[in-house]
Order: sequence, then structure tokens, then C-alpha cells
Amino acid sequence: MFILFILFLFARMPVGYFSLILHAHLPFVRHPEYPEFLEEDWLYEAITEVYLPLIVIFQRLHEADAAPRVAMNISPPLCEMLADPLLQSRYTRHLENLLELAEKEVHRTAAEAREFHAVARMYADNLRESLELWNGRYKRNLINAFRELQDEGVLEIITCCATHGFLPLISTHEARRAQIAIAVANYRKHFHRQPRGIWLAECAYEPGVEELLKEFGIEYFISDTHAILYGDPRPKYGVHAPVVCPNGVATFARDIETSQQVWSAEIGYPGNDVYREFYRDIGWDLPIDYLKPHLHEDGNRRHLGLKYHRITGRNVPQNRKEPYIPALATEKAAENAMHFIGERIKQAYKLRETFEGHPPLVVSPYDAELFGHWWYEGPQFIDFLFRKMHWDQSEIAAMTPGDFLDSGLPIQVQRPTASSWGENGYYKVWLNEGNSWMYPYQHDAERRMTQYCDAAKAGRGDAEMTTRILKQMARELLLAQSSDWAFQIYQGTTVEYSSRRFQSHIQRFDLLAQMLEHSSPPYEGGVAAASADGVVLSPEQLELLTEIEHRDNIFAEIDFRIYAR
Amino acid sequence: MSEEKKDLESGEETLEFVLDEPGLPGSGEFVSAAAEEVKEVAVVEESPEPAEPEEIAAEEMSPVFKLLARPSLPRLESENRARLQMQSPNRLHFYWSVRTNPFQTLNKALGAATSNYTLVVRLVDLRRESEELHRIDPEGNWWFSVDADSQYRAEVGFYAPNRPFVRVLYSNTIETPRKSPSRRTAAEAEWRVPAQKFAQVLDVAGFKQDAFDVAIAGDDADAAGDATYRAFGRLSGKPASEFAGLDTEELRYAMLALAAGATLEQLRFRVGERIFAVLERLAASASKGDALKALRSEFDIEEEELHAEEEEFGPAVFGASLVNFPKRTRLRKRPRGFDRVSKFEPMASHSLAAR
Repeated sequence: MFILFILFLFARMPVGYFSLILHAHLPFVRHPEYPEFLEEDWLYEAITEVYLPLIVIFQRLHEADAAPRVAMNISPPLCEMLADPLLQSRYTRHLENLLELAEKEVHRTAAEAREFHAVARMYADNLRESLELWNGRYKRNLINAFRELQDEGVLEIITCCATHGFLPLISTHEARRAQIAIAVANYRKHFHRQPRGIWLAECAYEPGVEELLKEFGIEYFISDTHAILYGDPRPKYGVHAPVVCPNGVATFARDIETSQQVWSAEIGYPGNDVYREFYRDIGWDLPIDYLKPHLHEDGNRRHLGLKYHRITGRNVPQNRKEPYIPALATEKAAENAMHFIGERIKQAYKLRETFEGHPPLVVSPYDAELFGHWWYEGPQFIDFLFRKMHWDQSEIAAMTPGDFLDSGLPIQVQRPTASSWGENGYYKVWLNEGNSWMYPYQHDAERRMTQYCDAAKAGRGDAEMTTRILKQMARELLLAQSSDWAFQIYQGTTVEYSSRRFQSHIQRFDLLAQMLEHSSPPYEGGVAAASADGVVLSPEQLELLTEIEHRDNIFAEIDFRIYAR
Repeated sequence: MSEEKKDLESGEETLEFVLDEPGLPGSGEFVSAAAEEVKEVAVVEESPEPAEPEEIAAEEMSPVFKLLARPSLPRLESENRARLQMQSPNRLHFYWSVRTNPFQTLNKALGAATSNYTLVVRLVDLRRESEELHRIDPEGNWWFSVDADSQYRAEVGFYAPNRPFVRVLYSNTIETPRKSPSRRTAAEAEWRVPAQKFAQVLDVAGFKQDAFDVAIAGDDADAAGDATYRAFGRLSGKPASEFAGLDTEELRYAMLALAAGATLEQLRFRVGERIFAVLERLAASASKGDALKALRSEFDIEEEELHAEEEEFGPAVFGASLVNFPKRTRLRKRPRGFDRVSKFEPMASHSLAAR
């Protein structure tokens, strides 16, 4: 079947190839210690606005035989949250509550705000459908839906660093290796196969990373443009063909033109006047008493996801925004998709001429959350894109990086250069005056983790309590390493929460380490505790361990021994 | 106990302390503190105050809940730490701490001869064999301005004029990447790409600035480098040899930018600190016309090609990300005729073969 697909692909002789890569990631946010938690809404909003709509669109494209091919990273923390029963049940409550509000809005707008009535009905219809899909078809677990799409040949799901750890800023070989090993194990748990590719967190690459990837059977990674353009030797086809590292692991790098066209805050499609305005939300517009049943316990206003205005104009103040008209926005999404394909065809001809006949590959990675959350019409854009690409032209063919590797097209051997896709192309966003205080703590935990695991390996690390502690220490270290915390501190968004999360995981790591070092009966020599028959905890220590396990329950399958030398 | 070692890498006279361990601690090989008495070590940088926990009635909070609800960073145990990290090709971050009082160790080793010594951080450029020193405390952090495409190691140790450097700790080694295309084309005929063709490849990838530079530099990187030094020497009125070691791609970019009318201030942070310092000294004499004249003496450049044209997009994208878009400050008005053979275009034999 797959060979037929490849033959079909090349029989059509397109001018060039196009690879859409979606990076779906959220940091692991789960707070069972509170009945509700503001930051958990990140996941709930993304499910409603991004993951469910994308799944529906990909499924429909597949059913329509539109042959979409998309590479999609679903990061391990996101997989773990999507598969978590507590978060699934909380999302159900969230969705039901939102649907209730949307239905209330249908009645209110019919009576007192007719200009928004059609949009209110649209939300109510969409949310009703989402709830049906969530409870019915997908049984509250979207991992099943993504896995099905992969099995149907629509998606090529790739993995990511275990907790989106920024590899170049991780200090030990063992801790870097663990980010890859744990990610691959988690992928296998959720998708029942070996991942072919990986999204390196923030596309952060430094020479040597490919050795870790090869060790765990990864065939390719995604990098930023200059990883290849500044690589050595000079890439014959620039960024419009992958290169392969000397050890055989390939990299596919980001095309700038498509990135700007869709994503740039200055010139990107989502800024069109007719598209939905993100920042004007009924959570801020309507009377607080009316909204109260749908807010968190604290009663604070927040974005609720029901938005009735369009962008109207770049410089139009929020109070002058005009009503959103879904039909106009849909029309524009179709127009943008057509324009995008037109530009790709022009680009492909130009590249092919430059490359003297060699077919170019345009690799376009985006945050998945752009499509639906930030750009409400984004999923529609993707829908139109693949339909038009399949039926309205033959110059451009969609393929995934895996398809390219299977195609047999020759690939140049090159050493890519250190890079990331962040501001200025290197590591500034994650290492600067505002967040450099984090690294001595993170690195200290990385060093200690290996020390403890070495000691456990030398002794009887399989003693139940020692194992429990070491597994949880690994989870805390991994969670502290999430690049999200340093990023948000730099961005100035949720600084308090991000700082606190980092501190929490370091503190928990340290509390657990103390259990090993100061257990009862005492073991001499600190880390030697891990090599003994297993530690014996006091009732208080056991309660603490159990509570930490309960809260930070990511990676049930974790094998701490990966940290040993 | 401490001992002396010759620093073979730098070739200069260096004493080295081995702090109770058989080998020197690099950042990847931290040393256990188990046998050492814990010394009070402050946080390397001041960390933010822990945030207040969510409002939970005090009577509902178990001791475990309370403990976890008020996260605070543990005290970092006294360790020998020396970690060098790259922020960008031109900036490194270094943090360190010394487990035992380094002055006491120095006293033990050198006795009365220690009075002239100062604790310093020494950043060694391993490729250019140069170094810089800064007075420091036994723990802290430092930001260094460095050159792209080089190799660095930071060392903590004691410095005294006319005395050997006494190294206490050293860091991991960092390789700063190139921030321009490689000068090397593939060895295999199938993948060779001559400079003019590669300039086109860069151009269609959106890296206009690099495309222009590759086009004017041609296929012989060494000859282009020499020509760049000569041009810069002409501009500065000094011998070209004075600038040996400076990055030629950056020098060329700086001269092109000046010739296009860019101000010195516009070049800040776009070229390395060393080159910027040289340019600052030249500021008065480096007029637009002078820069163009100097360049044209070595390269085939037309004045009309040099029009600074800001086309740079910010990193902000729709959503929560900041994504890199390449600098697109063009140094020309219209696409350069890549097909013409410029007067400075020394061709390597493989390039000729590829044509």
C-alpha cells in the first residue's frame, strides 16, 4: 500500500514537494491537589479549539480520499495529559460548562444582540458536536484518534524530547539521553510503534545530538533553517532538501517563506481583517453575575473562548471591533489556502530552476496551537489547503519527512550547525539575564540523578521503595527541565507560575533525595542509601512520596536506570 | 591535597590545584561532596521570591500540603562547579562555585607567596590562543562576549603579575558556531556547489545578506579573506596584518554596510565585539565613500548594488512563540547578476568542473 503511494507520488511528477509539520505541545500541567486550576485551561482550550477540530478535518480529508500527508509531533507531556483520566474528566466538565454557556448565549443574543446571534449558534453547534465526539467516538481519549489517523496513513506522528527539555542547556550526557529514551518509550506506549522522527524542543540542535537520536532508532529531526544553510559543507540545495548527518540521521529544516507567510505577526494570514479577533472575548465583555456560573471558583474574569468580533483592522481599538461573520472568514480561509498553494507553485518552479531540475522540498513547521486557538480559521485553512492541493493542481505534492526518506532520493551528507528556531536563532530565549538563575539548580539535579542511579545500579536498585523514590526523582528532574518555564519567564507571561513550577520540581527532587540520604534506618555515606536493600521511610516521608507521585504522575512507565552511566 | 601541573594546552606556565580529587572537575564530571563538610554557599544568582500559594484555608492544609504549597529552592550544596553555556555565537554564560575556600588552598600550596594573587576567571579562546581575565568572587556568574566559530573554556584560578596562573577549576568546552555559511563545498562531485550557485541557493532561501557575501567572496575563501584584510587595512590606513584573526565574513559585512550608508550604531550587535571596537576607533575616518573605495579595490562591487534596505521581520508570530526570521537587511537594491564573472572570482578547479 505504502509503496503504491510512493509510486503514485512520483508518477505524478510534481514540480516540488511540500511538508506540513505541526508541533503540538503543552507543558505538563495537572493539579489534582486543587478542584480546578487556571493553567489546566491551556489543555482544555487546546482540545476544544485545536486538537478536536484538526482530528475532525484530517478524518474528513481521509474519508474524502484527499490524501493528506502531515507530520505531527504530539509531545510526550501532551500525550500523557490527553491520556490522563483526571484531566479527561475535568475536560468533560469544562466542555459541558462551555456548552451550557454557549446555549445560554443563543437565547441571550436572540433577544438582545442579534448581530451576534449567528455566531452564538455556531459556537453552540460546534460545542455540541465536540461533546458528542469526545464522549462518543473518541471515548475521551484523543490519543486513540491520533493513532487511528496515523494507522490510516494521514499522519506521521513524531515524538519530542520527553518534557520538551532544551538539549543544549542540559549539562550531562545521561540527562540528555534520558530526554530521548523516555520520549521514545512513551511514544511506543501511546502509538504502539517506533517513532521515525523527533521534534527537538525549540528545534534546538547542537552537534552530537544526532548520536543520541541514532541510539534510539530515530531517523530524522526537525531543525531551523540555518542549521543546514550554515552547516558544513555547503548544502547544494540549501534548505529545500534534507541533509543527513555523518551518522545517518537526517534533518529537515524550516522554510522561511512559508513560515512568514502564515505565521508572521506582521504579514501572516491570521491578521486579516475578517478573521476572528482573539482578544475580544465574552469573558471580559459580559456582566460578571451572568458569567459567574461559568467561571472558576475565584470568580475572576478570563477568556472563555466565545468571541463575537472580527479583527476589523490592525489599528482598530478593541471597543470598535465589528461583529464576526463566519461565512466571510471561511471565504477568506479558502482564498488564503489558494494563495498559499499559488505561492508554493511559484516557489517550486523558481527553486527547481535554481536547482537545475532537482525537485525541491518545502518544509513548513508551525505550532499546532496556531491552528484554531490563535487563528480560529486555521483548521479550515488546512482543510482547504489539502483539498485544493489534491484536486486543483498537480505541481505540488504533500509528503512527510518519512516519505522523503523512503523515496530513495539521494541526500547530501553534512554536519548541521548549532541553532534553534527561537528569537535570533540560538539560545537567548532560554538563557538570559532573567532565567539564568535556573541552570545551576537544574544542572545540580542532573548530576545528582546520575550519582544516585549509579549507586543504585551498583547495589540493589530494584528494592521497591528505592525504586519508587528514584523514579519520582527522574520525573521531577524531567519536569524541571521543560523549556516552557524559561521561555515563559523570558516572555513575561505567567512568570510567577513558571518560576513556581520550576522551584516545585527542584524542591521535590531535593526532598526525595533527602529520603535516600536520610532514611531510617540511616545509611552511611549519603548516596550509598540507594545501593542498599532499599530505604525504609517514616510515615511522614511515605505520605510525602505518595503525594508527590500522585501530583506528578507523568510517565508511569519510566525506567530511572537510563540516568546511570 | 593540591599539586602542581603544567598546563600543556596553553603552553604557558600554569599551576593547577587538584582539590582533593584525583582529576580536575570539568562540568561534566562534578565531584562528590560526600566527604566534604558542607560550606554555606549562596545561590549563584538571586532567585525570585517564591510565590504565595493559592488561598487554601489553613485548617485544611496537611503538613505535606503545606510543604508542597510553598515551594522554595533548596540551598545548593557546596560543590566545585564550572559550567560554560552558549547563548549565541557571540555570547557565553559561565557560572561557578568553589567548594573549599580557594585562598586557604592557595596558602597551603604557596605559603607567603600568595599575597599578590587575585582570584580570577580566565576565558581561553582555544582556537585563537587568546585569553581574558576578570577578578571574581569564589562563586558567581559572568557573561562573556566572544567570537563565532571558535572554541572556549573558562577557568577559575589565581592570577598574579609575572607569576604562573594557578588554576583551580575549569569548565566544559564550548564551540561557538559559525554565523555564516561554510566556506567549504562538498568533496563529492555530486554535491559540489560553486559560490555563485550557492549564492543563488541562499538567495531563494531568504538569506539575502549571506547570498551577497558568498557571491562577492567567490570560491577561494583564503583569497577572499586576504582581500578582505587588505580592504580593511586600506580603509583604516593600517597594515592588513593588524587585523589577522578577525572574522573575515564579519569584516566584509561591516564594510559593505558602511559603504551602503549604515551608521556605526546600526552595526552594534550585528558584528562581534572585537570588530565593533575596531570600527569605533575608525568611526571618524570610515566614511561611506571610503568604505566603498576600499571594497572596490579588492572586490567587484557596483555602488548601485549597495543600498541598505530594511526588510527585517520581528520574531513575534501569531501565538505565544518567538520564532527566528533571518536578518534581511539587504545591501543592494536589486538581485545581483549571479551569472556574470566578477573581476574577483578566483575559481577552484572543482568549481570549474561543476560548470
